[in-house]
Amino acid sequence: METRREALVRIVGSENLVDDPAVLASHAKDESLVSPLRPWFVVRPGNTDEVRKLVLWANETGTPLVAMSSGPPHFHGDTVPSAPEAVIVDLGRMKAIKRIDRRNRIAVIEPGVTYSELDVALTDFGLCIPRPLSPRPNKSVVASLLERQPTLVPRLHHSFPEPLRTCGVVWGTGEIAFTGEAGGGPLSLEDQWSRGMAQLDPKGPLMTDLMRLLTGAQGSMGIVVWASVRLQLLPTVHRYSFVPAREIGDLLEFLCKLERTRLGDEVVLLNAAQLARLVAKEAGEAARMAVGLPRWCVVVGLGGAAFFPEDRVAVAEKDLEALALACGLRLLPGLSGIGSAELARTFRGCCEGEHWKLREKGGATEILFLTTLDKVPGFIDTVNAVARTHGYPTGAIGVYVQPQHTGTAQHVELTLPFDPAQRAEVDAVRAIHDQASRALVAQGAYFSRPYGTWADLVYSRDATARSVLRTVKGIVDPKNILNPGKLCF
Amino acid sequence: MEIPREAYQAIEDIVGKDNLTDDPALLDSYAFQWLAELVRPNRSHYMPRPWAVVMPITTEEVQAVTKVCNKYKIGIKPISTGWYHWAAPLKDDVPTLQFDMRRMNRIIEIDEKNRYAVVEAGVIVAQLQAEVMRRGLNVNIIGAGCSTSIVASACAYFGSGPSTYYMGHNSDNLLGQEWVAPSGEIVRAGSLSSDCGWFCGEGPGPSVRGVLRGHMGSRGGLGVFTKCAIKLAPWEGPPLLEPQGPPPAYRLPIHENFRVYTIGTPNWDAWADTYYEIYDNGIGYIFHRQFNLAGADLAAALWLTYLDPKGTMNDVEKATQDPAVQAITERARISFQLILQGRSRADIELQDKILDAILQKTGAFKVERFCEQDFAEFTNMYLQRLGHKHCNFIWVGGYMGSWMQGGTPDFAKQYAPIAIAGFYRDQKSHKLVECGGDALMGAGSTLTGGGYFGLEQFVSYDPADNDSIDACVKHMEDAIADCKQHNLPLGKEHHYLSIGWTDEEIWEGLAKMPQQFVLRFQSKIKEAFDPNSLGDRNYPTIPEGWAPSHR
Amino acid sequence: MALEDFRADALRCTRCTYCRWIPFDHVKSARFARGCPSIEYGKFHAYTAGGRYVTALSLMDGRSQVTDKVRDSVFQCNMCGLCDVSCKICRYDMEPLSAMRELRFTLVQQGHEVPQAKPVIEGLRKQHNMLRKPAAERGQWAADLRVKNLATEPAKYAFHAGCRYSFDGDLGHVARTSIRILQKAGLDVGILGARESCCGGRAFNMGYRDEMEARASQNLRAWRTAGIETVVTPCSDCYHAFKRIYPPETGVELKVVHMVELIAELVKNGRLRFSRSVPMRVTYHDPCKLGRQGEAYVPWNGKEKKIFGQAVAYDPPRPRYSGAFGVYELPRDVLRAIPGIELVEMERIREYAWCCGAGGGVYESYPEFAQMTANDRLEEAEATGADALVSACPWCERNFTDATAGNGSKLQVLDIVTLAGRALELEEEN
Repeated sequence: METRREALVRIVGSENLVDDPAVLASHAKDESLVSPLRPWFVVRPGNTDEVRKLVLWANETGTPLVAMSSGPPHFHGDTVPSAPEAVIVDLGRMKAIKRIDRRNRIAVIEPGVTYSELDVALTDFGLCIPRPLSPRPNKSVVASLLERQPTLVPRLHHSFPEPLRTCGVVWGTGEIAFTGEAGGGPLSLEDQWSRGMAQLDPKGPLMTDLMRLLTGAQGSMGIVVWASVRLQLLPTVHRYSFVPAREIGDLLEFLCKLERTRLGDEVVLLNAAQLARLVAKEAGEAARMAVGLPRWCVVVGLGGAAFFPEDRVAVAEKDLEALALACGLRLLPGLSGIGSAELARTFRGCCEGEHWKLREKGGATEILFLTTLDKVPGFIDTVNAVARTHGYPTGAIGVYVQPQHTGTAQHVELTLPFDPAQRAEVDAVRAIHDQASRALVAQGAYFSRPYGTWADLVYSRDATARSVLRTVKGIVDPKNILNPGKLCF
Repeated sequence: MEIPREAYQAIEDIVGKDNLTDDPALLDSYAFQWLAELVRPNRSHYMPRPWAVVMPITTEEVQAVTKVCNKYKIGIKPISTGWYHWAAPLKDDVPTLQFDMRRMNRIIEIDEKNRYAVVEAGVIVAQLQAEVMRRGLNVNIIGAGCSTSIVASACAYFGSGPSTYYMGHNSDNLLGQEWVAPSGEIVRAGSLSSDCGWFCGEGPGPSVRGVLRGHMGSRGGLGVFTKCAIKLAPWEGPPLLEPQGPPPAYRLPIHENFRVYTIGTPNWDAWADTYYEIYDNGIGYIFHRQFNLAGADLAAALWLTYLDPKGTMNDVEKATQDPAVQAITERARISFQLILQGRSRADIELQDKILDAILQKTGAFKVERFCEQDFAEFTNMYLQRLGHKHCNFIWVGGYMGSWMQGGTPDFAKQYAPIAIAGFYRDQKSHKLVECGGDALMGAGSTLTGGGYFGLEQFVSYDPADNDSIDACVKHMEDAIADCKQHNLPLGKEHHYLSIGWTDEEIWEGLAKMPQQFVLRFQSKIKEAFDPNSLGDRNYPTIPEGWAPSHR
Repeated sequence: MALEDFRADALRCTRCTYCRWIPFDHVKSARFARGCPSIEYGKFHAYTAGGRYVTALSLMDGRSQVTDKVRDSVFQCNMCGLCDVSCKICRYDMEPLSAMRELRFTLVQQGHEVPQAKPVIEGLRKQHNMLRKPAAERGQWAADLRVKNLATEPAKYAFHAGCRYSFDGDLGHVARTSIRILQKAGLDVGILGARESCCGGRAFNMGYRDEMEARASQNLRAWRTAGIETVVTPCSDCYHAFKRIYPPETGVELKVVHMVELIAELVKNGRLRFSRSVPMRVTYHDPCKLGRQGEAYVPWNGKEKKIFGQAVAYDPPRPRYSGAFGVYELPRDVLRAIPGIELVEMERIREYAWCCGAGGGVYESYPEFAQMTANDRLEEAEATGADALVSACPWCERNFTDATAGNGSKLQVLDIVTLAGRALELEEEN
């Protein structure tokens, strides 16, 4: 009888199988506080067929598969196995940019394509892709979108999965089926292209939105082997402005109006700690920088492309200034040495060197959820209150609020750095994470991406979602081999 | 199958006797549906008559009645405003209870700051738009117009229209939603199911909403959608629309933050190029090829006559012989409407400048007569409120939309000439309105943000004349043949005709889909949420064990 | 015409549901978007114009029979014509109001009368009025007036009071004030008094064509005998009957003018001057029969023809009664001319006004429905902040007055003639 190792080698080749203990240990945990669990193998398939064979084999043998496509660091525990004997399916080798269609502003990419790689490829076409906040260079574009990681430009965020359009998927049963309009055509991208299909319509096929069942799923429904993504024109003129305030409440009216009128490209609300962390280049610099920054700041990027780019930015700047003034705020071109150049690096590139969240203390945990703008301050107060009870300096908590879905929702992300070598700090942060999360859930914060321990918090209160999702899981992955133990599975 | 009288009495006990009827004449006003004549035996205008019509007023009533249906195996078919034959029961031999949702007509909440509204299934777009415009907001109106139910278009149908380009497709605008499954289970999706309010349609984790609608919704074939929250868009115009003038062509003065244009292009290539430029430049608030629904040969004559409150169809005929109107006809032949909205004077002036640059680049132009104040104000009224969609039927009461394959502008432009040639050919029977081959109407985008277009051929026939109905059906069959000949996906005519097919014919068609995964998925979903099979085939599945006959 | 003549119409109805709503362009709020009182009361689609097209088809094709429910679905309708206006926003080939009327004629002919209507029609037959009062008492409203009796003296204008003003003690003062106004303006006016007959318009809209013809015959004979040039009336129902029903049904076109039209003209040409201020904020209710159904009659006897292959046109061109040219501005001109009056508008006005609830036999046969409709209108009027709801039809005023008594509304219900009379220092208050 074939051993597991033999089977995996047969599928991906020996050069693409890793069982080195150090590597396995590195996959057993991540920057989150989830309990570690060592996988048994890491495999690196190179194409859809290999992925499919892996899934079929996993069904036969009952082996958990945990898909990942980004390099470290990981922050959410979704790529740490929750079941023993797991195999990590590292899609990092699948790096093809299959197509860039300038006219229709769509690209088709494999899961291993990172933001830094895609940026380079798109620049030649005068295109770019809406991106999350300072992604690491090895962050997979597809993974980021599948996890509904917020992107920076609210006016383009027409739906939560945007700019993700369609996907090619190896489902938990081993079947291959595409989502969206791609799911209604032949099972070959090349055939679809020859018929003029562009994989632009994300809905469907038929009466099911398969792509939406994949987002937020932590790889538990299917393994995405390609995705089409909608692109934007690369601005040829791009400037940033700052709107500072002492209290977050002072910015709400401004943000509400700004988001309503869809003015601006990037719109981001940061507190001093988080802004400093983003732009600081070295450890220690962030804390010093934060002292000189306003407690809260909205950063607005204004970009111009196509016809009259300079005029676009100029008109937008004028309107932005008028709006800020009307709300009793100031519009500044820079803050304590942070200007357009620094923000361009931060917002339009990838983070350089050590990850900006880890630079300060080596470790960081996050609490992230969705809510509406009016409720943001109250939820931040909740986390601060819990932090204070554990002696955690609230000034160190980084706050990032990202308007989503053209501003109907707000992604709120609180970062709590800690020294992983200091047991007391780890325990304190773990306790804060746990207690604050419970308090937030009780107050109505929406944990739409229930990583780790949030899963139980969310699904124990949401019987409907639990029931429906288990029904779906039972159809697409009846043997529960895809990342079992995550969410409510 | 005979349903015991106890079932009727049980439902009457739930909703009250005034909210339930099985009087045949009253039932016929639900069986009678537009397009029925294309698919029913002997060109009957009646779809299958419901077993009864019930009007619940709360979700709890919907659930309670659904449970009775499960007990007595009565089919379930909700209708809000209807307006397609598939809104009616589909099978003559399946007793079906039609849920008329119009009593669930509350606007539950308008969250002005976070820009969404929560509505029940009986609320139509016109009502919500009027309320949100007072608050500086707007709502996407689907192509069928403002008489339609928001819940229906967002949850159960399609969801695109002239404002989708900027305001979003209703599938993207859909936030929390509430559904009573045929099993009687109440499913709430998104933040609503986590008791966090209505503001988010995704998650938690994988989005439950992925089960509830896809490219299209279940069109009443899988339970009853009772409420939803819908995302709103900015409105920089006046809080109240104040139409001017007598009917029918009310005019809406153009607010200083707006521009209203009809743009013509010299050919389809230039049309596509202009589209892409608009898309790249990110201008546009309402974007639609609207007036050509009347047929490019007749559109100018019709709409210019329409502006006259004393105008008649006889005047339209005269107008077609007027050289001045003929000149406008040619000028507007390949044209579309574009409304710009600016947030400030400088912004709208810049958008104007950008549009002029686009037109210069692509060879497009403003159609002068349609950009004059009277016509522009009429266009403004027409497209902002979209309350004239019954004009789709203006010629003689019958209209069927063929083609409408969605795709990129380059994709759509290649089938436009085929559709046009085919329609000219089919009009030679003289049994269709001879409006010219190009009666192609289409949304500036069927996707939020642009990039996708569908061109729908408006085929006008006389529903009171069986020969004319036959001619329409022939056109549909010809259009299908044209698509197959040119290796194009099938258009809307195929969907309309399929309502008249047998189950086996439907399954044969579905079995030809290159990817069967979603069908098997939907079959399993139906087993889970409709164990007694009370929904209908508007939610398509293939029965387990069935195989196509050719195998 | 016969019901079968509307078969094509019925088949061409697309079930768009526009007939339930005011023309959408004019929707200003969710609350006052609704246009059809009938479906608001009856709920099912059969209670709309589109629904009644189907009912007609269903009955003609033998798919169903007239039950009490079907009968009610046909007759629980004010025949206000809002559906007709909304339908014609987009359709040039449909006549929903005429079709619904034909359906009523058919049901009445077949013996499916509304039981509550029978005594009213019986009263009309015997006493020639809609209020079941003795015909001999008809002229008593003018007992204290010195006005020509057209039986014995000719006059240029025949003042037709109408049944409601003739017999409704609460409202008769409007008729009297009308006479005073006309006399002040120096017009040569007379009345038929007890010889005046109901116009027959209400009966016609209730499905009783023969009764209307009988009343029309009597009125026309009397006016002919009296050498009348113009009939003036303060009642919109009568106005509509004379202007729009008599010509096609009797072949006689006569010059008819509503009191508001006449007052407006007299003010414009200086023969009347408003001398007293009437400080009041008012809102004006457009009576259906003066407004959207008050357009000029255009004779037509033609047939459908097809153009462009299948598009429907008519030979000769058929007049299009779309509501565009009803009497809307003149009443408003009168109100604006009265010193002290502040006119504020409701949301649903002019051709898209909400019905008062009294028309189509509803006041007589379905009082609960009539009141529901009136209450809706009163709520709309109150939302304007007006002190008074002003109209130009006694049936509107009766129904509104009954409703205010029932719901405790503080709104005054007044006729334009009353306000004009006050401003002319001629009024007689009830």
